[in-house]
Amino acid sequence: MLNDFLILMKQELVITIIIFILLFIKIGSKDWKNESLLKLINVLLLLNVVFSFIGNQEGVLFNEMFRTNDLISLEKGILSLGTLIISLSSYSWLQNHKHVAEFYMLLLSTLLGMFLMISGGHLIMFYLGLELSTIPLAAIANFDLDKRKSSEAAFKLIISSAFSSGLLLFGISLVYGTTGTLLFSELAQTLTGTPIQIFAFILLFAGFAFKISVVPFHLWTADVYEGAPVAVTSYLSVISKGAVLFVFVSVLYGAFKPLATTWYNMLFILSVLTIIVGNLFAIRQNNLKRFLAFSSIAQVGFILIGVSGSSQTGTASVIYFILVYIFSNLAAFGVISFISAVTGKETIDDYKALYKTNPFLSWVITIALFSLAGVPPTAGFFGKYFLLMAGTGIAGSKGLIIWIIIAALNLVISFYYYLRVVKAIFMDANETPIQKLSVPFLPKLAMIICVAGIVLTGLFSFIYEYIFSLSNGF
Amino acid sequence: MSAIQIIFWFLSALAIVSALMVLISKNPVHSVLWLIMVFFAISGHYILLNAQFLAIVNLIVYAGAIMVLFLFVIMLMNLNNESEPQKNVWMRLAGAVSGGCLLMILVSLVRQAIEINNKVAEMKVGDIGLIGNLGKALFKDYLVPFEISSVLFLSAMVGAIVIGKKN
Amino acid sequence: MKEIILQIDASKSLPLGEVGGAVPLPHILFLSTALFFIGMYGLFTRRNMITMLMAVELILNSVNINFVAFNKFLYPGKLDGIFFTIFIITIAAAEAAVAIAIIINLYRSHNSIDVEGAEELKY
Repeated sequence: MLNDFLILMKQELVITIIIFILLFIKIGSKDWKNESLLKLINVLLLLNVVFSFIGNQEGVLFNEMFRTNDLISLEKGILSLGTLIISLSSYSWLQNHKHVAEFYMLLLSTLLGMFLMISGGHLIMFYLGLELSTIPLAAIANFDLDKRKSSEAAFKLIISSAFSSGLLLFGISLVYGTTGTLLFSELAQTLTGTPIQIFAFILLFAGFAFKISVVPFHLWTADVYEGAPVAVTSYLSVISKGAVLFVFVSVLYGAFKPLATTWYNMLFILSVLTIIVGNLFAIRQNNLKRFLAFSSIAQVGFILIGVSGSSQTGTASVIYFILVYIFSNLAAFGVISFISAVTGKETIDDYKALYKTNPFLSWVITIALFSLAGVPPTAGFFGKYFLLMAGTGIAGSKGLIIWIIIAALNLVISFYYYLRVVKAIFMDANETPIQKLSVPFLPKLAMIICVAGIVLTGLFSFIYEYIFSLSNGF
Repeated sequence: MSAIQIIFWFLSALAIVSALMVLISKNPVHSVLWLIMVFFAISGHYILLNAQFLAIVNLIVYAGAIMVLFLFVIMLMNLNNESEPQKNVWMRLAGAVSGGCLLMILVSLVRQAIEINNKVAEMKVGDIGLIGNLGKALFKDYLVPFEISSVLFLSAMVGAIVIGKKN
Repeated sequence: MKEIILQIDASKSLPLGEVGGAVPLPHILFLSTALFFIGMYGLFTRRNMITMLMAVELILNSVNINFVAFNKFLYPGKLDGIFFTIFIITIAAAEAAVAIAIIINLYRSHNSIDVEGAEELKY
């Protein structure tokens, strides 16, 4: 029993240990310099990434409350990697921050929450994981303590997440009332699709939609993304979204399998709305953080197409896309984060003629934007391609052609606004360009990892094949 | 109508009226006091539903801790004389109408589903919600969620202290 | 309509009634749903941050009633519903603490906690 516990919950335990190391560092008598503390933390996070990829086993613990398998371990590994990249690229911001240890404690406890949420086999575990992954995040959204925007963003985040968990919980309570169980494995057998169960499912879906900012529930996204510190914004847009999407896929394919027709139709309507609204708003933005917020809304719309595939390809394409999305979005955010921390400039106009002064940063952000847009040699192209393929039903699932056509048209619109930024960087003239900046080692490392990730995940097909071999449809 | 039913109706009416008053009253202090009334009514329901421990927890945690925190903050900010701006009438009307529609849908669905399910409640198991039973289950079946909530509290505490303390 | 009946063991728990009372489940569900939508309405129409927070607490409480009622009426042998309620209360406390810390910080920086007054960000 104890051995099982240590092996199966290894990933969670490592994070908990890091959290407690930080706690003891903070309450200990020795005063740490920010630089050395950051170096120590990054080494610990690197160890965490290494540990989460080796020696994973399958198993179930605590009466099915906790379960893990190769796919879940892989998802956790992807999230750990993303956290490491964010930590590296927010070095410049944290260097001068007063509360580094607390920042990482909160950040890692959200990561722990996501792990438990992904592994949870019981709705209580799922709910606790979800809350553990949002409440501390709201606290760190306020970590630019003297900026008003940051506090506002934090408040909006916590209120909208509380409201969405209210919806989610009401749905869960009705599910509990009609089935009498909270275990995912039993729900799949007891749900029958009565009207009240469908209503409960809609509420539950709305709760999920809030967390991944699908369109009628996206109103908090742009404000929060703009106001929060860039490190938190990138974490919100990539890691927490990714974690909720992982759970979303496994919940839809597992527990709510009996309601497949309902959620297929809902996914159709919501994803079309999401893609269109995300694109239309992204075109109008001038602040790069808001721009990335709306473009990430549009990306979620594409992911929902993949989710609708409900086959092995569906799961695999979603996980693969999130991996690619982590690299591409974090590369873009890494550059924005660095420039914003050093110069405070965040608008597209400020980035005009960036290439003249900072060719390295320009290339990184260009490759990232190409990948986000889905330009062929990059991994983003393959990610989108697999998502649409899962949606069309080539791999044996059902598909709506009109859906794919709308998505493809919107893909073209998204080219326009991503390339607008690239054009500003390379072609536009600017009298006061951003001065020449020297990038410190750690952020540079993060950018290089991201670019390498974008290129390599696109080039090597065994990554997708490996994910595909682990995934399961229904 | 038996005594239990009378108590039930009284508590329900009290809960709904107080909940409405939370929203209607302009003064935040009054809102908080009405909200405490809601919690008392709900605790009464818990006792009727044989969840005695929960009733006490609800009072201690909500009425005793959270609401005192709210009151404390309101006093600290000296908000009690301020009347806040309201959103415009159409917005509120739209909210009320759509909320009402959803409410009707849900109520009709519930009635329909109960007819379908026709399950009958077990009677006279009055001690399931007592602290002894809950404690045994908490440290056996619900051990992991319990530990997770401790981590959650640690991080919430750290976050609240960092944000709330003066620089 | 077959009604699900709650009877309270009068001799044991409450000395008030001579006979056990009977309350149908839909009535309790109506109560919780009404509270839920009152909370939702409050969340969308009020602008004072503390009142918004109170509306959220109302929503969470309505969910709690649902869980306890289902637990009592339909699955009296198990404790899932009651435990879900306990954890919801726990988390609501943590959430309120963090939210209030944020509100205090916001108030300190610009002396108002109206959402509209705080509107520097636009859609």
